[in-house]
Amino acid sequence: MSKTATQKWSDKVQADWVVTAKKRGGLFISKLSLYTVLISLSFVFLYPLLFIVSQSLMMSTDVSDSTVQWIPQSLSFSNYLDAFLALGGAQSRTYWDAFMYSGIISFGSAALQVFSCALAGYAFGRYRFPGYTLFLSLVLFAFLVPPQTIIVPLFQLFSDFGWINTFYPFIVPSLTGHGLKGALFVLIFIQFFHRLPFVLEEAARIDGASAFRTYWTIMLPLARPAMLVVFLFSVVWHWNDVFEPNLYLRVPNYYNLSQTLAIFNGVGSAQIDAATAGLNAAQTIGVAPTMMNKIMAAAMLSILPMLVLYLFTQRYFVESVERAGIAGE
Amino acid sequence: MKKKLRLTIRMRTVLEAYSFLSLWLIGFAMFMAIPLGRSFYYAFNKMNVTKEGLTPEWTGTLNFRRAFSTDVNFLPLLQNSFLELLIQVPLILIFAMFAALLLNRPLVGRTFFRGVFFLPVIIASGAVLAEILEQGAERMPLFTSTGLFMTLSNVIPPNILEPLLNLADQLTLVMWNSGVQILIFLAGLQTISSSLYEAADIDGATKWESFWKITFPMIAPMILVNTLFTIVNSFTAANNQMMAYIRTVVFNQNDYGYGAAIGWIYFLMIFLIIAFVFWLFRKNLSNTEGRR
Repeated sequence: MSKTATQKWSDKVQADWVVTAKKRGGLFISKLSLYTVLISLSFVFLYPLLFIVSQSLMMSTDVSDSTVQWIPQSLSFSNYLDAFLALGGAQSRTYWDAFMYSGIISFGSAALQVFSCALAGYAFGRYRFPGYTLFLSLVLFAFLVPPQTIIVPLFQLFSDFGWINTFYPFIVPSLTGHGLKGALFVLIFIQFFHRLPFVLEEAARIDGASAFRTYWTIMLPLARPAMLVVFLFSVVWHWNDVFEPNLYLRVPNYYNLSQTLAIFNGVGSAQIDAATAGLNAAQTIGVAPTMMNKIMAAAMLSILPMLVLYLFTQRYFVESVERAGIAGE
Repeated sequence: MKKKLRLTIRMRTVLEAYSFLSLWLIGFAMFMAIPLGRSFYYAFNKMNVTKEGLTPEWTGTLNFRRAFSTDVNFLPLLQNSFLELLIQVPLILIFAMFAALLLNRPLVGRTFFRGVFFLPVIIASGAVLAEILEQGAERMPLFTSTGLFMTLSNVIPPNILEPLLNLADQLTLVMWNSGVQILIFLAGLQTISSSLYEAADIDGATKWESFWKITFPMIAPMILVNTLFTIVNSFTAANNQMMAYIRTVVFNQNDYGYGAAIGWIYFLMIFLIIAFVFWLFRKNLSNTEGRR
């Protein structure tokens, strides 16, 4: 009895480091299934991008041709030219004007949010003060309040200031650590500063640096991973946001990319509706001058800046989330 | 050292803390507290647009009663958005956990896969997603193709099959929405020391057991974080219908009071859900508090 037990034990020990043929086969199969799952999931994630690219390069005849699924019969780059002009959203505006508006809103707000959310995060992460718990729960509260609840007074406030159709409704809340997902960014900074060792600060303070100098020259440079993750996320979320620009930029001359894209889409569906009025679904095939290819070209143009940004900063997006400790504990 | 002021060290640190916090506090008052209070007040009024701007006219709970009785659009919308949230949150969590576990293994091309899994956060979170959804691209041909439906409907009764296939269709949307959550889980997984798994392995635990006894408890806090993030993220999603509805009420019908009221109802409902989430994780929270 005891002998068989010993036998089994030694078998197990051997099996851990001797790679038998059977084990290698099992390893191969598990590797194969792992990569199969990963690659097929990757397809799902790449699907929107592939869809946009493939549609945007098609001629109208290919879009309505049901035999053409992915690969266009002939490439057509003219969609991009049309989309480039249409994304201006108004006469005498092109893609570049809307692009500038999107860029100023997203990069400006992102830079300001990094600055202000780091300040607030530092206060919570490094100090204990009366009202700490109260204010911390206010941060959490601000994180959880849906923007839907406060749009009416907020819009009123900004129009009282005369800020409609300007950048101020984006810039000023960002400057104070609010704005789009501001509370989340404060929470990220709190987590990050909380984990830094206290010795660094003490050394600086003993050497006579003021609180702000310590913060600016020692703690903030250390917070680079957190700053990077906040900046990148803020840029991307502001770029993709449709809600706030729709609220505060109300004249076509001030529209940003996400707005002009939506308008272009509206024009496209209106044309399709007009062409197919009174026809049933089967009859519409091939009749409507579909604008899907042009709309997809516009979609591609509006996400292209973010794609380029992502291409160069992909590593930081993924790594900095780990280092900045979004997850916290 | 300012000797004139004669502050104690404690006083000085408190002052420093408040000066760091002041900017945020001003912002909180201006862009959160005051708007919230005003919107609460508006919710009980009919806001008339006059030459002097908006003038409130007290109507009591009329706006709230209207939302639940005469407004035919609001209740179905509310119901839909919460049903969607209740279905999506668990699905996103499960999928994100699964994907994070996959990506946490030693892989060839791990950076590439991570980059791909995160891609929808970049491209499919705003207006572009709305476009793609409109074109029906989120419905993978696999599930909606009538062939599959017809074949399966011979085996499974259609009234059970249809919701199932719809759920399968939603899966792509779930995957696209889980980029950040995957990263958070991944970050959590990497904080777990490998010695725990080694110890469990020596004690004879299977992979399955060590997932439930080590991995799961260790990343339970991340589940809370992810749940909150998913809920909050859904507010500003491009396909959030409640957002679109409130905007229509406020800016097309100029019904400011009613818009504020339904905004508050939405907020209270969300708050109930979040309170429920915190209640679910209460044991976990008290554990982390002790650990700090």
